[in-house]
Amino acid sequence: MEENGEKRWNFWGMGKLNPQSKTSVRGLLMKIWGSVNKDDPRPLLPLGHGDPSPFPCFRTTPVAEDAVVDSLRSAKFNSYPPTSGLQPARSAIADYLSRDLPYTLSPDDVFLTIGCIQAIEITLRALARPGANILLPRPCFPFYDSYASSINLEVRYFDLNPEKGWEVDIESVEALTDENTVAMVIINPGNPCGSVYTHRHLKEIAETARKLGILVVTDEVYHHLTFGPNPFVPMGVFGSIVPVITLGSISKRWLVPGWRLGWLVISDPNGILRKSGIVECITDCLNMTSDPPTFIQGAVPQILEKTGEDFFSKTIDILREVAHICYEKIQEIPCITCPNKPEGSMFVMAKLNLSLLEDINDDTDFCLKLAKEESVVVLPGVAVGMKNWLRITFAVEPSVLEDGFGRMKAFYERHAKKQ
Amino acid sequence: MENGSKQIWGFRGNEELKIASEITVRGFLNLLMFHVNKDDDRPTVPLGHGDPSAFPSFRTTGIAEDAIVDALRTANYNCYAPTVGVLPARRSIADYLSRDLPYKLSADDVYLTIGCTQAIEVILTVLARPGANILLPRPGFPYYEARAACSRLEVRHFDLLPEKGWEVNLEAVEALADHNTVAMVIINPGNPCGNVYSHQHLEKIAETARKLGILVIADEVYNHLTFGSKPFVPMGTLGSIAPVITLGSISKRWIVPGWRCGWLVTNDPNGILRKTGIVDSIMGCLDVSSDPATFIQGAIPQILENTEEDFFSKIIYIIREAANLCYERIKEIPCITCPYKPEGSMYTMVKLNLCLLEDIGDDVEFCLKLAKEESVIVLPGMAVGMKNWLRITIAIELSTLEDGLARIKAFCQRHAKNNKI
Repeated sequence: MEENGEKRWNFWGMGKLNPQSKTSVRGLLMKIWGSVNKDDPRPLLPLGHGDPSPFPCFRTTPVAEDAVVDSLRSAKFNSYPPTSGLQPARSAIADYLSRDLPYTLSPDDVFLTIGCIQAIEITLRALARPGANILLPRPCFPFYDSYASSINLEVRYFDLNPEKGWEVDIESVEALTDENTVAMVIINPGNPCGSVYTHRHLKEIAETARKLGILVVTDEVYHHLTFGPNPFVPMGVFGSIVPVITLGSISKRWLVPGWRLGWLVISDPNGILRKSGIVECITDCLNMTSDPPTFIQGAVPQILEKTGEDFFSKTIDILREVAHICYEKIQEIPCITCPNKPEGSMFVMAKLNLSLLEDINDDTDFCLKLAKEESVVVLPGVAVGMKNWLRITFAVEPSVLEDGFGRMKAFYERHAKKQ
Repeated sequence: MENGSKQIWGFRGNEELKIASEITVRGFLNLLMFHVNKDDDRPTVPLGHGDPSAFPSFRTTGIAEDAIVDALRTANYNCYAPTVGVLPARRSIADYLSRDLPYKLSADDVYLTIGCTQAIEVILTVLARPGANILLPRPGFPYYEARAACSRLEVRHFDLLPEKGWEVNLEAVEALADHNTVAMVIINPGNPCGNVYSHQHLEKIAETARKLGILVIADEVYNHLTFGSKPFVPMGTLGSIAPVITLGSISKRWIVPGWRCGWLVTNDPNGILRKTGIVDSIMGCLDVSSDPATFIQGAIPQILENTEEDFFSKIIYIIREAANLCYERIKEIPCITCPYKPEGSMYTMVKLNLCLLEDIGDDVEFCLKLAKEESVIVLPGMAVGMKNWLRITIAIELSTLEDGLARIKAFCQRHAKNNKI
């Protein structure tokens, strides 16, 4: 009805329920980017997010590009894909992941998703029965929290221990679990911590989850991106102790996050997830949503089977080098300390010592001012659940990293508390 | 907790998901395919789905393929895309759609989605406040019902009138709406009916929506796929009467549903969607979900700007031929009637006259037996909300359509009731 010439409409937005109102990496980074001084002639140094693909040294292998072109030009993949994904892609991923497991995955255990992001969405949705809760690590990749709250799935946090290589605090997991807890999530190699868990620790996690009657969701999007002493061990190795849902994608190992091709894999030799109806929920969810482009799915077998070891080694070598630079440079800046040298993924968590700084209130303030004064973007730890820490990306050109730390040091010196 | 030797697990499936996913076209078609006789040597004739991309006559234009390859090879699009989509894509979609509007869309009105499917997901999620309801056409596209169920958004159906070219029954719309009604959905060109609405009818829809205080969701995934006398008129043309949200993609016009690249566009010159917080909510939803592949987004400007008219004309020509063929052949089958010759999209709705058939109880039984005996797949009308009707796809090679219709005729003759009068 018209009132005072102002029409009333029956629809309105979600207000407080709007997912954007929760902290998301994208949202916070946008805010920080927003404070960069547009008149600064120096290039912006992006040390805040996990996407090295713009840098020439991190260009993907031509094998992957060719595979996609071949698939597209065949004109066989312009149709809607089947719900769970193209069979050859599912087979190829099953084979690829089975190389590191003591059992063989079946293609039926593999579901194609639009990047690891959609794998997370589907998993959380499938587990979100009314009243359920899920255990997340702190610090964590913030998407888990954002998505869980948008579907009213209760989240509880267990600690990762910086003094023990960011290992899971098993006692806190046990304390948090109740009869409504459905799963615990681990991210290995770790985002944001850069940790790589040992076989021993993963086994401990598996046994704890079994004892508590919960499943393990393992986010292995950074699988094989390890450059320290510990090799990558997939959680699926322990799939006969506890059912495991493995999330992954080609985004990080092939440096193509924009291709949006990931997977949700049931690593559960005892078939418990099938019996409990979880797998059916997963397919129901997939039936209701969109899919990764068919021709990119069509390229998966070629990508997984033909990429040469030298491409992977090259990437690892660069990551090892920049992780080392990062760790060394942090040590030269008194107000930042890094308790654990990063061994995997593309990030490191560093603690801010605010008492050494003048007029910086917290981590967000630090990052906003750093962006403004030095055109360097770093993610405040509050975004990942640890206030007054920083998450620093080292997956950039070595020169960019050197430059970035040079400017951070200058920033520190400018804001250092006078003794 | 361990209970003797029996392991007890605390997780089980979320059963609410089951209800929603059972009512999709994919679900029905899978069931029908399952019934096809594996020993039948003849090829299965697929007249149930909306995806002609497998047929040689419907191959997409080389320009679209080239655009993708070009974008991929620049290596500039391997990165994550911004939440709303890459700017060049948004700009070119704004320009492309503005060609048919009396005002210019801005890039900010355009949101890239993973096909039209995700555009539907987003808008229904955004509108699903507790207690809200949405008005959907019957017959319609069942993904709307499934998605609404997922978001606990109440659905109310208004009828489309077969005797009036499947126009919206506006009286029914007014009778259904209450203060909790947030929107009505129209699909134009129509799936499953094959109708194309006139400017006059769209204007009445807009005025009704305005009167009721609701917005119009215009599913225009089949935009420009018209082959009858009526031209395609976008609902956005009436965006200053009532706010319109247009959903679309490249899937149907370019015959590339597998590329998963679509859009949600706000046609709202009066800025009502912004004021009411709908725009913020759309961004919020997109912020917590995945995106279309960046290099496919990167190819959009080239695809939209360089595709030539003769590619579009060629596709229209084939579908028109198929529509004519189908309409004529249906006339020869007594137990099936087509009330309205299709003018757009890729389908036609036809009514089953069950009293002329022996031992066929309803549309689902018809389709199951047809699949089994003749290896022809047709969608039962129940899947789209009209029991004892059938949805037949006409976007298919003409020879295959001819074959399929002949087999349907044979099936009907075999099951015809013996007229003993």
